[in-house]
Amino acid sequence: MRLELEDIRYVYATGTPFEVEALRGVSLAVEPGEVLGIVGGTGSGKSTLVQHMNLLLTPASGRVLVDGVDARSLEKSGLRRRVGLVFQFPESALFAPTVEEDVAFAPRQLGLDEGEVQERVSESLRSLGAEDLAVRSPFALSGGEKRRAAIAGVLAMRPEVLILDEPTAGLDPATREELLALILGLRKSGISVVLVSHDLDEVAEVADRVCVLHEGMVRAAGTPAEVFYRDPAQAPATVRVASLVKVSKAEIGDPVRFEETLEALGALRGV
Amino acid sequence: MTSRSLGQFYPVVSPVHTLDPRAKIVATAVFVVGLFLIDSTAGLLFVAAALVALVAVSRIPAGTFLRLLRPVMFIVALTVLIQVLFSRAGPTLVEWGFFEVHSGGLRHGLFLALRILLLVSSAGLLTATTAPVALADGIEDLLSPLKRVRFPAHEVAMMMTIALRFIPTLGDEAEKIKGAQAARGADFSEGGPLRRARSLVPVLVPLTVGAFRRADELAEAMESRGYRGGEGRTRYRELRFRKQDALALATTALVLLVGVLL
Repeated sequence: MRLELEDIRYVYATGTPFEVEALRGVSLAVEPGEVLGIVGGTGSGKSTLVQHMNLLLTPASGRVLVDGVDARSLEKSGLRRRVGLVFQFPESALFAPTVEEDVAFAPRQLGLDEGEVQERVSESLRSLGAEDLAVRSPFALSGGEKRRAAIAGVLAMRPEVLILDEPTAGLDPATREELLALILGLRKSGISVVLVSHDLDEVAEVADRVCVLHEGMVRAAGTPAEVFYRDPAQAPATVRVASLVKVSKAEIGDPVRFEETLEALGALRGV
Repeated sequence: MTSRSLGQFYPVVSPVHTLDPRAKIVATAVFVVGLFLIDSTAGLLFVAAALVALVAVSRIPAGTFLRLLRPVMFIVALTVLIQVLFSRAGPTLVEWGFFEVHSGGLRHGLFLALRILLLVSSAGLLTATTAPVALADGIEDLLSPLKRVRFPAHEVAMMMTIALRFIPTLGDEAEKIKGAQAARGADFSEGGPLRRARSLVPVLVPLTVGAFRRADELAEAMESRGYRGGEGRTRYRELRFRKQDALALATTALVLLVGVLL
């Protein structure tokens, strides 16, 4: 599924002294099966922007297109199933007595039968390495465990696009690595991922394309090498080799063979 | 964040905003009591005109101010209706079977409606022009003579300040949790009242858990910065009663006196 935003504008608290123009004409597209990184400082409009992707916020002007169709003409529940949104600090919305119940919330809202619900719950918990948390109370978990349970709760809808707003904020390195591996795994199975972050390193690590947001406007877009180094040829060789190798190596932690490095270096010399 | 309602502070600079909160609290209290001493329509209209002028001076847009009154419109309408239906004073205006409208009832109903509107407007003007923290400071100061009889004036004011301070925070939090659950397919607008109440459980549980966590953190933050209650505590912003505050109080008293005498 291709998700496109067209000249989106959004204003908070219109008509009061608290009025803030959060988005001032943002256009971008999430291509099928890609990992799109959205970076930008605090208050740049990242979180406001992603809430437009499943129409939790309705733009003051501009359109959201799903495979070329105006999203406003689609049924909201269907749109929110297809475009899964994980909020920043999603663990603050855990509510059920057990993790299992909490993850089952979304599939039950979809009206699936109990067998299907259970299957999806165990599937999404497994993909986050959280099967052992199933019968525990979400309020008694550690920060990283809570985060995984909350993400599983959205994954259980089997979305076609998964939006993660600052998913690694405040996490320990191990859980962070697991999450980045999950993102690449999802991409491999054809799911697009939008990764909102202000950690440039992690975006460079997993994103196919990066979009830089500043004061509610897109300031730059392109591959990580293009965006992070104005002239990609000036990027350190390691970065360029890494981005070339990434095309063939989807999984983090896969060893890179010597020949592959040579191949990538050869390709670089050709540029 | 987008909803404005009764009691919301409206941050602009105006002569009313800069008055001492104590003067405004006392003036409002005097005004509310005064309203019940006025029994002529002319007097009430005079006081209403004065209040309209005061709202204009406070630089709060008329539309915003009228929106503050929306929540009480139901009570106002009910008051008028009850007076019209049950009062038999004065000549009959409309007669329709069992149902009669007398001029006395209509007049009295409108009089009571205006009194309620003035009551709410004056309280609304106080909270719209006074920052919550200033309001709590003012109340603490006015209550402090009661400290002598062991009344916990500082603690009451601190509790009010914290409660007021966290209303927008909890509002934002509720908004965020609602968004997160809506993203998981929750629907808050469909079905009957029972189903809608049930659909709020996924919002209320995390909101309550969050409020307790926040209370814990706040208590620790206060302790770690040496908070030990009101004893010997000084203020960053000292309240100062100035000439214009005395003037405001005198004007309020005078306007009410004219209203009572009219």
